Amino acid sequence: MSSSHGLPLDPSLPESLARREFVKMLAAAGLATLSMDAPRLLAADLKVIQPAAKADACILIWLAGGMAAPETFDPKRYVPFEKGLEYKRVLSTFPSIPTAVDGIRICEGMEQIASVMDRATLIRSAIQPDLGSILHSRHQFHWHTGYVPPQTVACPHLGAWMARVLGPRNPVMPAFINIGQRLEGVGESEELKAFTSAGFFGGEFGPMNLPYPEEAAAAVRAPKGMDPSRFVNRDKEFRRLADASPNRDVMSDHQYESMMRSMDNAYRLLSAKERMAFDISLETKEVQAEYDTGRFGRGCLLARRLVENGARFVEVTTEYVPFFQWDTHGKGHETVAKMHAEIDRPVAQLIRDLEKRGLLDRTLVVIASEFSRDAMIEGKPGSKAKDQSFNKGTTMESPDHYGLHRHFTGGTSVVMFGGGVKRGHVYGATADERPLVAIKDPVPIEDLHATIFTLMGISPKTAYDIEGRPFYATIDGKGKAITSIFA
Amino acid sequence: MLPDAVIRRLPLAVCLSFAGLTTLSAEVDFAHEVVPILRKHCTECHAGDKKKGSFSMNTRTALLEGGEDGVTVVPGHADKSKLIEFILSKDLDVRMPPKGDALTPAEVGILRTWVDQGAVWTEGFAFKQPAFEPTLRPRHPMVPPAIGGHEHPIDRVLEAWLQSKKLPTPPLADDATFLRRAHLDFIGLLPTVAETQAFVADPAPDKRARLIRSLLARDIDYADHWMVFWNDLLRNDYAGTGYIDGGRKQITPWLYAALRKNMPYDEFVRELIAPTAASEGFSKGIIWRGAVSVAQAPELQFAQSVSQVFLGINMKCASCHDSFIDRWKLKDAYGLAAIYSDHPMELVRCDIPTGKSASAGWPFPELGQIDANKPRGERLVQLATLLTQPDNARFQRTMVNRLWHRLMGRGIVHPVDAMQTEPWNQDLLDVLANHFVAQKYDLKATLEFIATSRAYQSQAEVQSGDVDGKDYLYRGPRGKRLTAEQFVDLAWRLTGTTPFKIDAGVQRMPTKPITAPEAKVGPLLAQPIWSNDVTAQRPPAAGEARSFRHSFTIAGEVEHALVVVTADNSFEILVNGKTLAKGENWAVPQLLDLAPFLKLGRNQIIIVGRNGGTGPNVAAVWCQVALRLRNNKNEVTFGSDATWEWSAALPNAKGAMPVKAAWLPVAKVPVEAAPWKKAEAMMAQMISGVPSSEGFLPRASLVKSDLLQRSLGRPNREQIVSSRPTELSTLEAIDLSNGTALTSLLERGAISLLRRPWKSSEELARWLYLSTLCRPPSAAELKVALELLGAQPTEHSTADFLWAIFMLPEFQTIR
Repeated sequence: MSSSHGLPLDPSLPESLARREFVKMLAAAGLATLSMDAPRLLAADLKVIQPAAKADACILIWLAGGMAAPETFDPKRYVPFEKGLEYKRVLSTFPSIPTAVDGIRICEGMEQIASVMDRATLIRSAIQPDLGSILHSRHQFHWHTGYVPPQTVACPHLGAWMARVLGPRNPVMPAFINIGQRLEGVGESEELKAFTSAGFFGGEFGPMNLPYPEEAAAAVRAPKGMDPSRFVNRDKEFRRLADASPNRDVMSDHQYESMMRSMDNAYRLLSAKERMAFDISLETKEVQAEYDTGRFGRGCLLARRLVENGARFVEVTTEYVPFFQWDTHGKGHETVAKMHAEIDRPVAQLIRDLEKRGLLDRTLVVIASEFSRDAMIEGKPGSKAKDQSFNKGTTMESPDHYGLHRHFTGGTSVVMFGGGVKRGHVYGATADERPLVAIKDPVPIEDLHATIFTLMGISPKTAYDIEGRPFYATIDGKGKAITSIFA
Repeated sequence: MLPDAVIRRLPLAVCLSFAGLTTLSAEVDFAHEVVPILRKHCTECHAGDKKKGSFSMNTRTALLEGGEDGVTVVPGHADKSKLIEFILSKDLDVRMPPKGDALTPAEVGILRTWVDQGAVWTEGFAFKQPAFEPTLRPRHPMVPPAIGGHEHPIDRVLEAWLQSKKLPTPPLADDATFLRRAHLDFIGLLPTVAETQAFVADPAPDKRARLIRSLLARDIDYADHWMVFWNDLLRNDYAGTGYIDGGRKQITPWLYAALRKNMPYDEFVRELIAPTAASEGFSKGIIWRGAVSVAQAPELQFAQSVSQVFLGINMKCASCHDSFIDRWKLKDAYGLAAIYSDHPMELVRCDIPTGKSASAGWPFPELGQIDANKPRGERLVQLATLLTQPDNARFQRTMVNRLWHRLMGRGIVHPVDAMQTEPWNQDLLDVLANHFVAQKYDLKATLEFIATSRAYQSQAEVQSGDVDGKDYLYRGPRGKRLTAEQFVDLAWRLTGTTPFKIDAGVQRMPTKPITAPEAKVGPLLAQPIWSNDVTAQRPPAAGEARSFRHSFTIAGEVEHALVVVTADNSFEILVNGKTLAKGENWAVPQLLDLAPFLKLGRNQIIIVGRNGGTGPNVAAVWCQVALRLRNNKNEVTFGSDATWEWSAALPNAKGAMPVKAAWLPVAKVPVEAAPWKKAEAMMAQMISGVPSSEGFLPRASLVKSDLLQRSLGRPNREQIVSSRPTELSTLEAIDLSNGTALTSLLERGAISLLRRPWKSSEELARWLYLSTLCRPPSAAELKVALELLGAQPTEHSTADFLWAIFMLPEFQTIR
């Protein structure tokens, strides 16, 4: 499935290819190992016909912490700050600007993204369930796995599903790469780890975590301080030692081979040319500058390089750190202005670069967040969620109070570029006056996932057997793709 | 939206329109006409083990019983039978079968006629043989006579089985393989080179049995190792979801103490189910913030955990709806939940209340009932009693099967959490269970029972390819992968890089005085010392730090050198400028291996003592060294005393003291407080060579998970985990190949190893092979090893050699 030159985008699988053959194919390619305790594709679902893939790769741009739709992709009535401004008057704190598509406006501060909106489908009616108290990590778990925590089995991440069902596009490249999120030393890290995982699929399908894009190259290089010749030699001698073991023949083939195969895979990546894809410093200064608005921007550049070289699923995040980035409980306007600046250039550049390279048609880029924000409503109208805004007053007395500081689950935006979706298209809508709930074509998580999975060639009904029961790509296999946004 | 009932009634109109197609007069042939239709369209989901919607048509009785939607077939009345209604529905959410084509009008006609004619069934016919239903009560199988002198009951059962299958008896593993396997299985550590050599050389015929007993007697090492198994199974951890906000409670100190004293398993389970404050964390489960599915309410978590851990029953499906895959129903899950609940519970099916109330009960009422009218505390005691009663062999079998799986690599019932599965050898399972009961639920006795069998001591099965599933044939124990904790412990121990502290709040000090002759406790020479500027008017200030030093000369090769150290309130000990250890808890002295840090000639120990508290209070440092040179019988010991010196200056980050530091004689601190005396007694025991003194070093099982452990398969313990992944994944291999954690550990390890006086690369290579694989290298291996190490080992070549050894499948496997 790989090719010797730069961009090995594999042809999509024929529509009629049955699961069984597909799994066999993967196994033959050494990509799927069905070991004794590993989940198996559910027998009854061998008949699930996978849809023809419209995209081969997926980049999820994850604006963690609750990106306020009215401050980004769904501008509402703008009221500038003044001392004593009543919260109830504020829907958006940014004026709107036109985009490349007539009739689609987004928020000021995202001029570059505005210029590429003609390549996007903008879903304005994504909704979240009421989980009682609004907790980022639980909504993030739900968004990334399709299942509301807690669950009785460890749930696989969206990327793990792609790794499990589709495998890597290029056998050298890890199928699932996660950029920008630290999993140690940040708040709620245990909760983050719970869904940043292949769950019951097992580690082979889990994420390669690259919290710092500028250090990604080191993650696939010989260890720090080890020159290449020493690294090569170490591996060579290791293999000779393994071969020389007098117990080689009494080791179980199964265990021996699988361990050695993983060591081979690792060494292959650490010594293959694809590892260059991880090194953003190989880009020209100009290109780096175009992306470099910070860690997130560099992450977008890294994501582009990884997809160019055969990554299947890449997540890039502005990172979830409680009360930082999009998680604005105070100073919302000021913070979001900074977030605009952080995402605007790199996201637009990523789209343009993918397009320039002929990759956008087969690469699905999704911008999403766990929920939206509102100046007044915590949760959704009528929910009993605890108000978490720092300022409980009814008026804004200082610029720190200006912003959307409450978690809103009644309607938010998801943007999809490329990979088989319509261009310059809007799906769904939210109300123009508070409550800004989805009033047309609401899209729950399972339908959003069904859409993404279907575009990638995975039936939302795909299921694996765990503890004797089926576990579906979308809950109970019930997710329905929004086919009307398909190109 | 229309309510379900309305939707389901609509197709009636449709079905009437087909009525004309049927030939009501013809006698339908069940076997030749009906069965093929049902087999084609229905029985994949509604026969055998499968009962979607709780509905099975496996037998006529099952068919007439109906399912979640009530009665499905009314004999004589096709028009009142939902079976017909469903197959005719045009609503794809209702129609049966849900996938594939609808039944043809002709097929529908046959089924209608068949029902109208009374749904006649061939007597005794079933679509699929009924699922295996395990026996519940104890069985006492006849143990076959010994064959070939193998008297052990396990071997007698296995020999007979092997003969019946015409399979060979697996050959015995050699001593070294057995030694390594037993160490890793029982205490999670490797034997030392000296232990390996002594064991292999020992001609005594009972040496294997003695070894097993001695390993199991190492209570701290045993508990350290088995914490991994139990933390996974009882989902206990030192950090994780819920702990921070009080939604989850550790049982760590209780669990560790229970393992150390080998609490009988029935008592252990009673304390988990009807708990004290120390053991209630298990039954409390995890209380998640926010609204959660009713099926994950703490009461239902209790139902699921108790069922899975102690009975091998999966109650997860039944917590939400009647299970499709086994016989457990929603009311069964709620029965257990209601025992635990402190309020009346309503059955909720898939988050929709049913209006029915739960009544306390447990899965095996034939063994005794729960009295739902008793208060909660008594109900829990009842459940604990019912579970652990001798007649409940399911309870015993579930546990012995887990232990068999641990030691032998595959369950007798497999997977181990699905105890409804047919065992591959029921008699073997019962021999183990009966032994367990006879030994009063002594877990170590079962481990010893298994380990003393020839079966455990046999060569591991050579598996070719992925051989599993229902066709399992026993061909000897299976190799197991090292756990993350074992891997990390071995790396720490071999390289002298064990970190300084543990996260688990457990009591690891010896509980009883050591009576073994070699462990005679000598007097403690170490005296409590502090700076001599302390007076009654100026006790040490809170946070006051002092350096204390002592120098000594080494005139030959060190055979062994140990140091025991502590300080009120904390310390860091440096030897020749390198940090050896830090200690935060004065009540827990540390015993450390000094040898790797020593050199010929003059050596210097510096201890930085730091006082605690919030105001001035008493402070002290203790230290004692015991060392012996090779070829010298005399043990040299010395302790902190008036000959030591102190300075107010502290070493810098590189371990060096300021050149101009002023050194003054120390003052002895009078011992007043009883707790100090206790710590001093511990130090005396430790320095006198308490057996398994290594057990005092931190173990990976007692620290919070980190990236390295995670990448080696240590699970997030939000769910119960009874077996870990058996394979090394590519991402793990990448981490092991270039991850910072292992790389820096190997670098430090190489430096530490090279402090030892190796005569040659060959000596180092031989030592490492013996230390890791419990065997010397073959000539071919030695050749490669020497190429890798070079004529004289360097830090680089040693680190690379360590890496290569750690990556060997032979190292990462318990064969």
